[in-house]
Amino acid sequence: MRPYSINQIKYIKKNIMNINFSDEDLAFRDEVREWLSNDYPQHVREKTEKGITISKEDLIDFHKALSKKGWMGYNWPVEFGGTGWSASKLYIFNKELGLAGCPPILPFGVGMVGPVIYTFGNDEQKERFLPDILEFNTWWCQGYSEPGSGSDLASLKTKAVLRNDLDEDYYVVNGSKTWTTLAQNADWIFCLVRTDNSGIKQEGISFLLIDMKSPGIEVKPIITIDGDHEVNSVFFTDVKVPAKNLIGEEGKGWTYAKFLLAHERFGIAGVGASMRSLNRLKEIISKLDNDDLQRKANELEVALSAIEITELRLLSALENGGHPGAESSILKIKGTEMQQALSELFVEASGEYALMYPGPHGYENNDKPAGPDFAAEGLSAFLNMRKTSIYGGSNEIQKNILSKFVLGV
Amino acid sequence: MNLNYSDEQVMLREQIQKFCETEYDFYKREDIVKSDDDFDSNVWNLFAEQGWLSMPFSEQSGGLGFGPIELSILFEEFGKALVIEPYLSTVVLAGSLLDNSTFSSKNDLIEQICSGELHISLAYAEAGKGYDYLTPNTSIDKKGLLNGTKTLVLNGANSDKLIVACNRDNIFNLIILDTKTDGVSLNSFSTVDGQSCSEISFENVQLDETNIIASGDEAISLIKDSLNLATLCVSAEAVGCMESCYLKTLQYTKDREQFGQPISSFQVLQHRMVDMFIESELAKSLLIKAMLEVNNRSDDMYKHVSALKSYIGTSGKLSAKEAVQLHGGMGVSEEMMIGHYLKKMISIDALFGNADYHLKQSGK
Repeated sequence: MRPYSINQIKYIKKNIMNINFSDEDLAFRDEVREWLSNDYPQHVREKTEKGITISKEDLIDFHKALSKKGWMGYNWPVEFGGTGWSASKLYIFNKELGLAGCPPILPFGVGMVGPVIYTFGNDEQKERFLPDILEFNTWWCQGYSEPGSGSDLASLKTKAVLRNDLDEDYYVVNGSKTWTTLAQNADWIFCLVRTDNSGIKQEGISFLLIDMKSPGIEVKPIITIDGDHEVNSVFFTDVKVPAKNLIGEEGKGWTYAKFLLAHERFGIAGVGASMRSLNRLKEIISKLDNDDLQRKANELEVALSAIEITELRLLSALENGGHPGAESSILKIKGTEMQQALSELFVEASGEYALMYPGPHGYENNDKPAGPDFAAEGLSAFLNMRKTSIYGGSNEIQKNILSKFVLGV
Repeated sequence: MNLNYSDEQVMLREQIQKFCETEYDFYKREDIVKSDDDFDSNVWNLFAEQGWLSMPFSEQSGGLGFGPIELSILFEEFGKALVIEPYLSTVVLAGSLLDNSTFSSKNDLIEQICSGELHISLAYAEAGKGYDYLTPNTSIDKKGLLNGTKTLVLNGANSDKLIVACNRDNIFNLIILDTKTDGVSLNSFSTVDGQSCSEISFENVQLDETNIIASGDEAISLIKDSLNLATLCVSAEAVGCMESCYLKTLQYTKDREQFGQPISSFQVLQHRMVDMFIESELAKSLLIKAMLEVNNRSDDMYKHVSALKSYIGTSGKLSAKEAVQLHGGMGVSEEMMIGHYLKKMISIDALFGNADYHLKQSGK
């Protein structure tokens, strides 16, 4: 007998591989669907279905509704007021909200700074900030990128100097942050600031929470190519920040930043939202009788299925005791490419009406002057989606990460 | 949900890998390709001895009762080592069709397949029909005479028996006959990836009811399932090829020095290899989906196999072309293994419907 004899396998006929969710997970999916049909704010649903811009108030209503159901802390452990969901439930939740066309849950509070605070913050900070995040009483924004620091984030220069006046410890912050999403709505900003210049660049960075109402902060809009005001420049001039707003230790900010980026990548593939787009596209294309568009839609459907199953493989590994590895970078790259390709196909499907300039997020009242109703929405989405392969660690940076950790070069 | 292979499935994979490493290296393969038969009877006997040829057959037919998942594992590993033994034609195409049929002597035939005595192939394709295998011109007339030509019969020259897709009174039929029967003539050639293949003509071949395996809907469903399983298998083979293309290219660029450094230190090459890695992982994902759907015999199984086949047709060829490019001149050398993956990918894309065809099918 050779060592590879199949007859040596005491083969257990019961195959354990299974791509279906458990009954418990399916019941949970039904609960999410029930919430979506009953408690997801109707005025928000109507707007997203018609492709009308949703306002700050709409976003607050949506988040408050989630909070009321106890789902705001969807990715948090129970001990901090979160749901404590398994990876499967988290996946189902994201997918169902995407399929229903919900706006993305704003990641800055619950997805980003929240986990940093409950992991590295002190008890006072946890008590002070976490409940407001879960109730969506504070709107957070992210102060990472700077005009001179994009992919090379650790080169950031915004400076925080520790002072003491009348027995009060505080930092004086000077510098600027850029691409700050929805800073115009934000109550607080979490910032990476430089507290030390002496060592290697990663070592002198600290993680600071700053009240947006502090004197010396100025927010200026950056209008993006879709005509929208989504991102901003934020300028800091002698901004006084209490030292108790420092998270963890001074100089350890880079560690917390990396921790946060790992959280940011989870769910970034946006499978549910892409499926909704694809279904809509298929419906549009089926009425156009155009083989070229049909072929492209088929290609995207196959590729989206590959992304979805790759995400499920990650999930299955997590549920069976594994750790997320290279998969999250794959999902970031392919998920964002998919979002872009889908939005581009909407534009192609609009034919000559692709030349209509809709303004940000389509027409405010959905009263199109000409052409099919998806044309305006498609073009602004296409322009807006260019950001996806740039943010969250650009897709080229993701490939560097994969080169290092998978290829080992 | 659990998408991890079971311990037993992992063990199966390791055993196939061990076989490929010890008994089927690239030089051995080259000798087999250069031989007249395009397969090695010693290797085939080894397959039989180890129970490999019995793998997918039901226990009622004397097989081991393994399913599409284990076949996919086998073919993934065959893809990595570029195994060219005629497993696909005898065991998958013809064997699984017989196993699913109600043909009276199927148990005898399957026993002979399992023991390695019988080579048998499925003659499904005809010239000018594209990828339509269900409306053959080859037909049986009122006197029971078979006339017509089937093309691209894998391992035809080595086959003792053939299962032929044909028409009788405008009804689709599957018949079985001996290759040596009067009126059967073969024109044999090698495929781009080194397999043996034949165009087979039938001129007034006398048949009777004992030759008929199935007719009508039963025959259509048998051939559809057999071709679907074979499509899954060659797709799994392609997934194995893709992984090898990526890993071998990575190793080569780490070893190869130019400008005083390993060429793997160049970012432009790193990102192209990352793309190969990503494509390989996405193809694996579609394979897992397709094999589980086939295993469950779900309503959507054809659609998911088509999605997989179209994906590997496109991205598999891309990976193999990238592998050749990144190997530089070595990539186009016959003596290097890497270029042979490209030939394998061309061959797999051409079989059972290419990427374009299956892309359309997947959208139906």
